[in-house]
Amino acid sequence: MYDSVIDPTLGPAGDARGRTALAPRPGDLSGLRLGLLANTKRNAEEFVEEVAGLLESQHGVQKVLIRKKPSIVEPAPPEMLEELRAECDVVVVGVGDCGSCSASAVADGLQLEEAGIPAVVIVSDAFRVSADAMATLQGTEGYQYVTTPHPVANLSRQGVRDRATAAVPEIVALLRGPNVAPAS
Amino acid sequence: MSVDQKQLDQLKQTLQADDYRMDVDVRGDSADVAIVAGPDACEECLVPKPLMQSMLGPVLGIEPASIRLVYPTDGPGADVTTS
Repeated sequence: MYDSVIDPTLGPAGDARGRTALAPRPGDLSGLRLGLLANTKRNAEEFVEEVAGLLESQHGVQKVLIRKKPSIVEPAPPEMLEELRAECDVVVVGVGDCGSCSASAVADGLQLEEAGIPAVVIVSDAFRVSADAMATLQGTEGYQYVTTPHPVANLSRQGVRDRATAAVPEIVALLRGPNVAPAS
Repeated sequence: MSVDQKQLDQLKQTLQADDYRMDVDVRGDSADVAIVAGPDACEECLVPKPLMQSMLGPVLGIEPASIRLVYPTDGPGADVTTS
């Protein structure tokens, strides 16, 4: 899984990675099934849980699934992505609070989009470089994600809550509307 | 091509956020890059080598395959040519 997603030296000769076709966006989040995909970094799960609570109370989504990836380095296993695809209408992925986990979070987001599920990835702002590199590697330069100040791992629960509250408007905007810059 | 110092500094800052330092030595059309771990570095937080090389290539103006990259986990005497 990792090899084919992250290693740009693999794949058939001449195999150009096409731009990921993003999923159609819902106009309204009310009643939609929300999935959460967290990594094992400290506060990642708490962050997406706080986001879920706000999306439920403010926008009427229903949290139906949360999954934690076994590795921060690698994208989510195929069976985990399939479960999210089958049971959720929209997915929040996070938090990319290190070099490898920000890159793999973007890879996860793009795989969900390719599977037809609108997804929003949360990355801490110190790791834009690796997040953008993964988007470019996946052929989707300009892929938009939500940033939160670095670090996330040392925050108290209230600190996580505050960050989630600040991030929700952009998360909602990206779930509802286009989440990629025009191809150059 | 020449080194894009601004982008190189950004990449170094990204690594510093995970408590890593990057030493770069560009020689003609190849480069030696060593990532050095600080006391609070998390081993898993470094991106995989192929991705790091793909990030470094345009920054250094060098083909990724010509970047010899050493990670802290490689240990002394490791074969640093990964491509």
